[in-house]
Amino acid sequence: MSALVSVVNLRVSFVTRQTRVEAVRGVSFDVRHDATLALVGESGSGKTVSAMSILRLLPENAIVDPASRIDYGGENLLAAPAARLRALRGRDISAVFQEPMSSLNPVLTVGEQVAEVLRLHRSMAPRQALERAAELLAEVGIPEPRARLRAYPHELSGGQQQRVMIAMAIANEPKLLIADEPTTALDVTVQRQVLELIARLRERHRMSVLFISHDLGLVGEIADNVVVMREGEVRESGPTQRIFSAPRDPYTRALLACRPRLDTRPRRLPVIDDFMRGGVAPDAALERPPAGANLIEAKGLRKEFRLRTGWFASKSLVAVREVTFGVTRGRTVGLVGESGSGKTTVALLVMRLLEASGGEARLEDTDLLRLSAAQMMAFRRRIQIVFQNPYASLNPRMSIGRTLTEPMRIHRLGADEGERIERARGLLQRVGLPQDAMHRYPHEFSGGQRQRIAIARALAVEPEVLICDEPVSALDVSVQATVLNLLLDLQEERGLAYLFISHDLAVVKYMSDEVLVMREGEVVERGAPEAIYRAPQHEYTRKLLAAVPRGVEGRKFGDGALTSSGTQP
Amino acid sequence: MVPTLAGVIVLIFFLFKFFGGDPSQILAGQVASQEQIDAIRRELGLDQPWYAQLGIFVREIISFDFGKSWMTREQVSGIFLTRLPATLTITIPILLLEISLAIPTAMLVAYYRGRLLDRAVMVICVAAMSVSFLVYIIVGQYLLGFQLGWFPVQGWSDDFWRNLFTYAPLPILLAALVGLAPQTRLYRSFFLDETKSDYVRTARAKGLSEPAIMRKHVLRNALVPVLTNVSLLVPGVFVGSFLLEIFFSIPGLGREIYLAVNRSDYPVIQAVTIYLSVLTMLINLAADVLYTFVDPRIQLR
Amino acid sequence: MAAVLDVTPENAWTALWRRLQQDRVGAVSLGIVVAYLVMILFATAGYLAGGWSREVGVPYANPAFLGERPNLEGALRKRAEHKGVAPDLSAIDPLAPKYAEWERRTGELKMTEPERAMTLPWGGDRWGRDVLDKAIKGSQVSIAVGVLAALCATVIGTLLGACAGFYGRWVNDVLEWLYNVFTSIPSILLIFSLAAVLRSGAFAHLFASGIWTVVIILSVTGWTGMYRLVRAEYMKHRSREYVLAAQAIGASAAARMFAHILPNVSHVILVQLSLLVVAFIKVEVILSFLGLGVPLDMVSWGTMLSEAQTELVIGKWWQLAAATAFMAVFLTAFSMLTDSLRDALDPRLR
Repeated sequence: MSALVSVVNLRVSFVTRQTRVEAVRGVSFDVRHDATLALVGESGSGKTVSAMSILRLLPENAIVDPASRIDYGGENLLAAPAARLRALRGRDISAVFQEPMSSLNPVLTVGEQVAEVLRLHRSMAPRQALERAAELLAEVGIPEPRARLRAYPHELSGGQQQRVMIAMAIANEPKLLIADEPTTALDVTVQRQVLELIARLRERHRMSVLFISHDLGLVGEIADNVVVMREGEVRESGPTQRIFSAPRDPYTRALLACRPRLDTRPRRLPVIDDFMRGGVAPDAALERPPAGANLIEAKGLRKEFRLRTGWFASKSLVAVREVTFGVTRGRTVGLVGESGSGKTTVALLVMRLLEASGGEARLEDTDLLRLSAAQMMAFRRRIQIVFQNPYASLNPRMSIGRTLTEPMRIHRLGADEGERIERARGLLQRVGLPQDAMHRYPHEFSGGQRQRIAIARALAVEPEVLICDEPVSALDVSVQATVLNLLLDLQEERGLAYLFISHDLAVVKYMSDEVLVMREGEVVERGAPEAIYRAPQHEYTRKLLAAVPRGVEGRKFGDGALTSSGTQP
Repeated sequence: MVPTLAGVIVLIFFLFKFFGGDPSQILAGQVASQEQIDAIRRELGLDQPWYAQLGIFVREIISFDFGKSWMTREQVSGIFLTRLPATLTITIPILLLEISLAIPTAMLVAYYRGRLLDRAVMVICVAAMSVSFLVYIIVGQYLLGFQLGWFPVQGWSDDFWRNLFTYAPLPILLAALVGLAPQTRLYRSFFLDETKSDYVRTARAKGLSEPAIMRKHVLRNALVPVLTNVSLLVPGVFVGSFLLEIFFSIPGLGREIYLAVNRSDYPVIQAVTIYLSVLTMLINLAADVLYTFVDPRIQLR
Repeated sequence: MAAVLDVTPENAWTALWRRLQQDRVGAVSLGIVVAYLVMILFATAGYLAGGWSREVGVPYANPAFLGERPNLEGALRKRAEHKGVAPDLSAIDPLAPKYAEWERRTGELKMTEPERAMTLPWGGDRWGRDVLDKAIKGSQVSIAVGVLAALCATVIGTLLGACAGFYGRWVNDVLEWLYNVFTSIPSILLIFSLAAVLRSGAFAHLFASGIWTVVIILSVTGWTGMYRLVRAEYMKHRSREYVLAAQAIGASAAARMFAHILPNVSHVILVQLSLLVVAFIKVEVILSFLGLGVPLDMVSWGTMLSEAQTELVIGKWWQLAAATAFMAVFLTAFSMLTDSLRDALDPRLR
C-alpha cells in the first residue's frame, strides 16, 4: 500500500519573545491508505505538533522549517496556499480534539455545527444539511438524533460531545481523520466506547486514522502501525505487533514496562532510567504486611450537597452514601471509580476539608468528624493528603523551603527555624530532590518533581495516615512509576497507612491491599485486588476491568474482529 | 431587585440623615427665627423618630410625591418628569451609537491582531482616552459650534425632533467619539479571548475562512461579555450626558441635579438618585433577559 | 529565616521586573511616570512651582514664544487697579463668600510684587499666574488624589472581595447585596449625593479644605469593580488544591486568605489598581471642573480646565493646552505601563 500522507523531515519551532524552542526535530512518518497509524509519546514529545502540521493548525508563534515536507496526493501541504488548505480541511482531512466541551462552539446548536461543514464543502441547502446531520448523529450513536440537532453542547455528556465532534469530522467522508487524544478527557468506560466507534467508522468508510495518544496500551488495541516519539524525535516506528513483542528502543521498552499491569505485581515498577541505562533485572513480587487493628476507619460516611434552586427552594444531591472502610498501619486501601463517583469527596470528608453530613471517621479512638476546629488541629498533624494536580497543589508564590517549613511551624515541630530547615533538607533528600530546591519556586520543577515536593510537604508533619488523591493521574507514564515506587518505599520505611484514590484500576490494583469500587457515591464492590481482578462480582466492576487498555493482548479491532464486537451507545 | 431597591433607599436615607446637614437650617437660611425653624421641622416630619422619617421617605417614593423643591418650590415629581425626556434624548442615541461603532471596530482590529492596523488603533485609543472628556467638549463646542458654526453652540426647544436633529447631534457626537476608544479597546480584548478558544481551532479544521470564523463563531461568543459590559456601561453614560447637559444648557436631569447639589436642595437629589437607580435596575433586568438569547448556557431562574 | 530562605534567584516580582525591562514601550512609559513622580516630589517639597499662586505676570500674559501678540486685557489691567471678576459659575456657587477672602489674599500678595511681566514662559491666566507653575502644581494635586483614592478603593474592594469570595454563603450574600446597591445607583449620582452631604452636611467642617473630600467620594463610589474582581479570584482560588493543602496542614482561615491566596491574586489587584488611578484622575478632573472637587485655593488639572473654557472664547488657549498636555502625557504613559504590566504578569505568556 502506498502512503496517503508522508511527513518528511518535519521541523517545527516555537518562538517567544526571547527564546526559540525546537519542538519537532526532523520527524518523518507515513500514514498508509485505509489503516491506523498511532503517534505515541509523553508530554513534550511533539506528537500533537507533528500531527497538526498536516492541517497547518499550529499556534501563531510556530515556525515550520522550509526544508520540511508533508506530501499529500503529490502536493506539499506545507507550501500549499491558504485557500487550497481550507478546501482540504474538513473535506479530505479532518480532526477530532482532546477536549470535546471546549472544542464545540457553546452558543451554536449541535445541528448547526454539523450542518456547517456539509454546507461549506458540499454547498448543501440548509434543510438538506440538517437532514444529513441527523443521519450522521445516528451513525455515531447519539440517541434521538433528530431531537438532538437542536441541543447545545453543554446539554450533552462528554462522550456524546466527542461523538458530535466525530460526526462533524466524518461528514464529508474524509480520507484521513486526525484524532488528537480523543479519549483522554473521558472516563475509561466512555473511552472504550469512543475508541470502538472510531475503529468501526474507519473500517466502514475506508479512511485512514492518525491516532495521537500518550497511552501505549490503548494504541496497541487500535493501531496498525506505531510511531514512538520523545522530545521531538522519533524513537522507533513499526507494525504494532512487532513494537509490542520485540521493542528495539530502550525508551519503548520502558514505556511498555513501567505501566502497572493487571496480571502481575512486582515489588517495584521498572522505571525509565533502568532501561535507558541497560537491561532491568527481574524483580521479586510485592510483599505486604498482614492486616491488623485499624488505624483509621470510616463508618457510613455520607455527604449531601444542597443546591439552591430558588430563593427558598433547594434540592439535595447525595455525593457519598454509606461509605465504610478501615486501614491498618503499613497497608493501603484503594478507592477506584470514574468522575462523579464521589471518591475525592470521601478524601475531603476524612480530612475534614469538607463537612460530612453523617457517619464517622475514626483515627484510633477519636471520631474526627465530632471534633471542634481547635481539637482537629492536633489530629491534622497525624493525617495528611497528596492531591492530584501537582501544578495546582503547590502555592506558586512560595519557595519550596517555605512550603516545607510552614507545616512544621504551624505544628511547632523542631526547636527553631534552623532545625526546621535542616528537616526540610532531609525531606527533599528523601524524596530525591537536590538541596538547592529549597530556594526555588514551584514553576521551576517538572510535574513529577512537584509531586515529590507535595509528598515531602505531607511528610513534614510526620503523619501516620496519608491520603493519596489521584497522585499520579496528572503525570506522564514514565514518571508515574517513579512516584508510585517512592510511595511504596515511604510506606515500608514509616509504616504509613494509605488511602489510595484513582480512576485507574491498574494503578489501584498494584498499590492496594483492599480495593473499593465506587459508582455514583456508593461502594458497589470491595475485596482483595486479586479477587476483584479474577472474579469481579458487580457488573460495573466487570465493565471497568474490560475498559482497561491492554495493548496488543486486548486487541479486538481489525481483521474481522471488529464486526463481531458490536458496540452499543 | 426588591432587596436591592430597599438597600438603595436605606443608603440614600441614612446618607442624608446622618451626614447631611439639618434640612431646617438649610431651608430657613441663617436669619430664621426659632419658630420658623420649628415650623419647618414639623412640616418635614423632622420632629419624629428616624424610623417614622424613613416611613415617610418610603411613602414619598412609592407615591411619587417628594413634595416641593426647597429652592424653586417646584414639585419634585414634576421636575423629574419634565427633565427626563431631555436626558433620554441624548443618552439613548449616545449608547446606541457607541456600541454600534465599537463592535465592528473592535472586530476589525481583533481580526488584524498584532499587525500595524491593530497597533496603530490601540495607540490612538490609549492617547484618546488620556485626554479629559472636558477637553473634547470644550474644544468641540468651540471649534464645531463657535468657530465653524456647523452646529448650534447650545440651546434646546420643546420640539422633540428639532431637539434630536438640531441641538442634540453635537453633544451626542462628542460623547460617542469619547466613548469609542475605551469600548473598542475592551471589546477587542473580548474578541481576542474568543479567538484563542478551542472551538476556533475546530472551525479552522472544518475549513472555514478566517473572516467566516470571525462572523459565525467568534462574534456570537464575544457578544456575551459585550452585553455584560453594556449593562455596566449604562450608569456610566449618565456621567457623560450630565456633563453635556451642563455645557450645552440642556434642561435635563443632570443639569437639574447639578444645580440642586450646589443649592443643597436635598429632595431633588434624593428623588433623582432613587428613580434613576430604579431605571438602571430595570435596564439590567432587560440585559439579563437578553442574555438568555445570546448565551444558551444561561437560564433564567 | 528570612536570611536563609528569601535569597531567591528569581521570584515572581524579580521576573516581572526583568520582563518589564525587555518591553521597550513599557520601559519608556515607566521612565515618564517616574519623571512625573520626581516632579511631584519636588513640588510637594516646595522646590518646584511653590509660588504658583503669585501673580507674576499681567492678566493673560502671552506665552514667551508669542510675545508680540496683542493682549488687551493685560494692558488694561496693567494700568487699572485689579478688582477681580467672579467666575461665571458664581451665581450657583455656594462658595461665593470665599471669593472675598480670596480677593483680599491676592490683593495682599500683589502689593508685595514689584513688577508684572508682560510674557511668561507658557503664558498666564486671568490673574496673571504662571500657567506652567499651575500645571506642575496641578499635576501634584490631581495625581495625589487619583493615587490616594485608588489605594483606598483597593483596600475596601480587596477586603470585602476576599471575604465574600473566601467565605461564600451568607457573607457572600450580604456583600453581594451591598455591591448591587452601590452599582444600582449611577456613580455620578452617588458622587453628587456624597458631595452634597459632605460639603453642606453635619461633617462639612471636617472636609472644608484639602483633597480628602474628593478622595473619600471617589473611593466610596469606586470600590465595586475591585470587589467584583477580587471576589471572583478568591472564589477561584479557595478550592484550589494548594489552598486545601494549606488547610490540611492546619493553616488558619486568615493565613489562607492573606498568606496563601493574596500573593497569588496580587497581580490582578495591581493591574486593577493602576486602572483605577487612571479612572480616578479623570473623574477628579470632572469633579473639580464642576466645583465639587479640590477646594478653590488649590489647583488641579480640573480647575485649570474650568478656567480654560471661558478663556478659549477670547482666544487664550495656553492654559487649556498646558493642562491637557500634562494630563494626556501622564495618563498615556501610565496606561501603557499598565498594559505592559498586564502582559508581564499574564501567566499565559510565561
